[in-house]
Formats: sequence, structure tokens, C-alpha cells
Amino acid sequence: MILLVEDNPDDEALTLRALKKNNILNEVVVARDGVEALDFLFGEGGHAGRDLALMPEVVLLDINLPRINGLEVLEKIRANERTRLLPVVILTTSNEERDKLRSYTLGANSFVRKPVDFLQFSEAIRQLGLYWLVLNQSPPLVKV
Amino acid sequence: MGAESRSSVSPPGRRYWKIAVVVLGVTFVVAAGLYHLARLYVLNEAERNIQAVLLVHKGTHRYIQEVMHPVFYKLRAEGLAADTFYAPEIFSSSFIVRNQHKAYNEERKAAGLEEIYYKMAAFNPRNSVNKADALEEKLIRMFNENKEVKDYREIVRIGDKDYLFVALPFLVNQERCMKCHGNREDAPLGLQALYPGLGGFNEKAGEIRAIESIRAPLEEQYFLLYIVFASSFAGLLALAGLLFFNARLRGMVRTRTHELEQEVAERRRAEEEVRQTNEELENRVEERTARIAAANKELDSFAYSVSHDLRAPLRGIDGFSLALLEDYGAQLDDTAKGYLGRVRAGCLRMGELIDDMLQLSRLSRGEIHRQEVDLSGMAEEIAEELRRGAPARRVAFEITPGIRVFGDAILLRAVLDNLLGNAWKFTAKTEEARITFGREEESGKDLLFVRDNGAGFDMAYADKLFGAFQRLHSFQEFAGTGIGLATVQRIIHRHGGAIRAEGEVGQGATFYFSV
Repeated sequence: MILLVEDNPDDEALTLRALKKNNILNEVVVARDGVEALDFLFGEGGHAGRDLALMPEVVLLDINLPRINGLEVLEKIRANERTRLLPVVILTTSNEERDKLRSYTLGANSFVRKPVDFLQFSEAIRQLGLYWLVLNQSPPLVKV
Repeated sequence: MGAESRSSVSPPGRRYWKIAVVVLGVTFVVAAGLYHLARLYVLNEAERNIQAVLLVHKGTHRYIQEVMHPVFYKLRAEGLAADTFYAPEIFSSSFIVRNQHKAYNEERKAAGLEEIYYKMAAFNPRNSVNKADALEEKLIRMFNENKEVKDYREIVRIGDKDYLFVALPFLVNQERCMKCHGNREDAPLGLQALYPGLGGFNEKAGEIRAIESIRAPLEEQYFLLYIVFASSFAGLLALAGLLFFNARLRGMVRTRTHELEQEVAERRRAEEEVRQTNEELENRVEERTARIAAANKELDSFAYSVSHDLRAPLRGIDGFSLALLEDYGAQLDDTAKGYLGRVRAGCLRMGELIDDMLQLSRLSRGEIHRQEVDLSGMAEEIAEELRRGAPARRVAFEITPGIRVFGDAILLRAVLDNLLGNAWKFTAKTEEARITFGREEESGKDLLFVRDNGAGFDMAYADKLFGAFQRLHSFQEFAGTGIGLATVQRIIHRHGGAIRAEGEVGQGATFYFSV
């Protein structure tokens, strides 16, 4: 399962298209802001009662998000016992040094910049999927 | 008057003490001078008195010897006087002068004047009153031994009074004197009868027989009064002078102090003005700095949102254009596909523009961290990267080794990236392309340069080269955003250096810069 945290519907559609194009058929859960993402991960709000044994293999997290931004989401993920080992890839338009620094400081596993060129973007998504969903071994599930 | 200016003047007590010292000093000096002068005067007076007395005596002696004696001898020769007749009262000049002086002193006393002591002192006088005392005997001997000494003076104290004592050698015995003063047996019989002893006899010719011994009082009672009065007057005069001078000085000091106070006040006012101006300037600088900081921050967030918000829609446009081409390509003719291709090319170009603009803005902000930078090494790295990016191209790089400068490594890297990248780009259509990085000296200054033999440019547009978004070549000819050289110039300026370009169309370009 992939958790895609993205507020821009265009980017959401393009990401889903790129995943599909590259034959990555894993389930994709889309959260449109930080609060929704955290609700999903912690089984709260609209996702109350969700089976928390099911955790995404990777979180694709944008930084610029309404309500709670991506860096705060990352901070909360790392602060929570259940999600602190979750692989999180920052997928953003930003190319700012301070965003990179902050992301890695907070414990991001990867920082990928979305290219304007869709072909390059698609290639990036393909490599991400291949790496995190196939090559990478997920951390053991944390029992709480 | 301020407390600090008063402290420089001596306290009143001290000032009066000083005046007293000066006045007493003047009085003392004047008194001493006057005493000396008065003493000289009194001595002179005594001298004149003595001289007057002696001259009168001399005259009397002469009159007796030169007038009376010849008359007497004539009378005796004519028999009018007995051969045996002798009376000292009418014959002896010494006797007559002594008694005349006695009468003179009596007259002085009657006139309220002090007597003038006079004595004709001799070793062996006829009359015992003329017998020399110890001092006089000593002086007679002294005069006989030293014939050249004509007088002797001494101030003697008798009782509580000072006297001028003068001694003069009296007659030197002549042959004619021997008639009465030689052997007793040869003397006139009357004389022998009158003086039974040997007094006045047995004298020798050429010897000083007697001295005149005379002393006159020094009239000190006058000059003491005179000195006291005159010196007090001088002291008072000095005091008055001092007080007058003091008053004048005080006046001057007051005037000057007033002037100084005004000057001080003026200076304080000027200082205050300068301080206020400084404060105003500081406030203004602070305000501007704050404004610049705010502007920088604004620019920062602007750049941030540009990087996010402008790029996202571009990605959408590009992505969905490609989706159209992929999913509906079969339904589109070649023209429609070509249009979609142009849409995508525009997106990519705008993405580059945004990236370059952000780089320009980022490099223009941030602080400069100076350190020693090996530019030659950096140029080699860049050349290597360029070669790797286009292995098919044949470009000769000539990089002078060992060029080191003091500057920000990241920013200088951007400078060389741009300059060498440009040279690489504009030599793309040149056969035997050559790119040089080196150092030249120009009027004593080190200038670095990047030279190529590529497309070059028209010097007429040299000043447009460094403007943002200024391009001298069409995009079709050479790709680029026109921001690279603007970035380079800004970095060089931020290092306090300068950059200029020389070139000719088709002959290549050279960029000279200093750091």
C-alpha cells in the first residue's frame, strides 16, 4: 500500500497516472492534507476504527499542504511509536536547501524533487516504486 | 561661572599671603638700597666736614708761617723785639691752631652741633696734650714707613655712635724747622727757657714728626628716619601697584572666562547637534536595515512560493499534454500533436527560467563565507563535467594551474560554471574549439579571464550582456535563459570585484574579472 499525501489534484492525477504507467499496481491511499494523512495513519477522525495492522510500505509526502504541512506530518509520524519506522519519501516541488535540511533532520528517508517534465517525473515515480515497493524490505511492524 | 573654572584660581587667603611677601620684599630691597645710599651720604658729609676743618687749619698754619713769622723776624732784626722773646700764643702755629680749634668746638657746641675731635699727635711733643695715643703712634710709624700713603680712614665706634676717623701725615721736617726742633742748644734761648725738657727737640729732617688726627660724627639719626619713611612709601607704592595690577588681571580673567564659557556653551551646542544628527542617522540606518531585512524576507518567501506555486501548474500542463498525446494521439493530426509539443517545450523552458531566477535571487542574498579557493582545480572539474556531458565534442581546455583567490567557494563555483558553461555552449559550432582560463596583469592588478574562440558578440551590445534575461543570440541558435551572466556579475560585485567582456562576432569572447 502507498500513502500519497498530495493536495494538488493535478499532481495527484499525474502521480497515479505515472504509477499506473509503470505497472505499479499496489493500493494507493490519497490524503489531501496533513490532518487527513495523520488520521489515516493513527486511525482517527474519518479513519477511526481502521485496522492499524495495515500500514503503507511507503508514504509519498508533499511539503506544501493545507492545515498541517508535510514537515509537521513527518515530525508527528516520527514521534509516534507505531509509525516512527515508517519509510517516508518527501516528494515536493521545492528545491530549497532549508527544506532538504529540515526533512532529513526530521527523519525523512528520501527527498525527491518533482520535475516539470512529465517524462522525468514518471521516471522518478517508476524508480521510487521499484525501490520502495520491491527492492526495499519494510521495517517490522511495531506492536503497540 | 562653573565650579570647575573657579578651581583654577588660587584661594583668596593664599593670594593675600603672596601680596604680603611681594610688598615686604620690595620694602626690604628699597630699604637696603636706601641704607647704602644714606651711609654713603653721611660718610661724605663727615668727610666734607673734616676736609673743611683741615683746610681752615692749613690756611691758619700758612698764615702764621708765611705772614706772621717774617714780620716777627724783621721786628727782631730791627731790634724792636728782644732776641730772647718767645711766646707760643703768637709764634707756634701748632699752639695757635690747637687753641683756635678749641674755640671752634666751643662755638659748635653753642650752635648745638657736636664737637669735631682734632689733635696734632706726635711722639715727642712739646706740649703733653699733643702726645700720640697708641693708635696714633702706630699710624705715625706706618706713615714714616710708607711715604706713599697719604691718608688713613676708619669708622670707629665710641659709646653708641659711629665716627669717621681720618689721619693725615702732618709736616715733614724741613731744614728751616730745625731752628726750633733740632738740637735744644741751637734753639732760640726764649724757646729753651720756655720748654725745659726735650719735648719737640732732636727731630730729624725728612721725618714725619706728627699726624693730624681728626674724627667727625656720622649723623645717622637723620638717615634712619629717612630710610624708614622712604622704604615704607616704596612698599605702599608696590602694594598699590599690585592691587591695581591684580584688579586689572581679574578683569581680564573675568572677560576671558566669559568668552571661554560662551565658547564651551557653543561647542556643547554643536556637539549636541552632532550627537542628534548621529542618532538620527543611526535610527535611519536601523530603520533601513530593518526595511531591507523585511524586504529580503519578503523576497525569500516570494522565491519560495515561486518555486512551489509556479512550477506545479507547469507540471500539470506538461503532464496532461503528454497524457493527451499518449491517450488520444490516434485522434489527433500531426498539427495538433505539433502544437502539444510546443506547449510542452514552453513548459520546460519556463521551468528553467524559474530555476535560474531562483538561483540568481538565492546567490544575491545569503552571506559570503570567504576562504581560499583553488579556481584552477575548480575549472578542471567543470571542464571534466562538460566533457562527460557531451563526449562527442572536441574542445581544447587550457587552464593555468595554481590560481587561488579568497572568496566564497559556492558562489565562485557558480561564476566558473556559468562562464565555462557559456564558453562551452558558444563554441558548439566552432571547429577546433579552444577554451582558456588564466590570469593576466593589467595596470598592476591581477585579472582572471575565461576566453573562447566561439560565436563571440558585437561589442555594441557589451553593456547588455550582464542584464537579467538579456540575450544576444536567438534561442534556436543557442539555448539559455539570459540569467547566467547577471548571476555572475552579481557574485563578482558582492566580492568587491569587477567584470567586463570583450569580443567580436565569430571571433570568440573573453570575460575579464577580478575577485
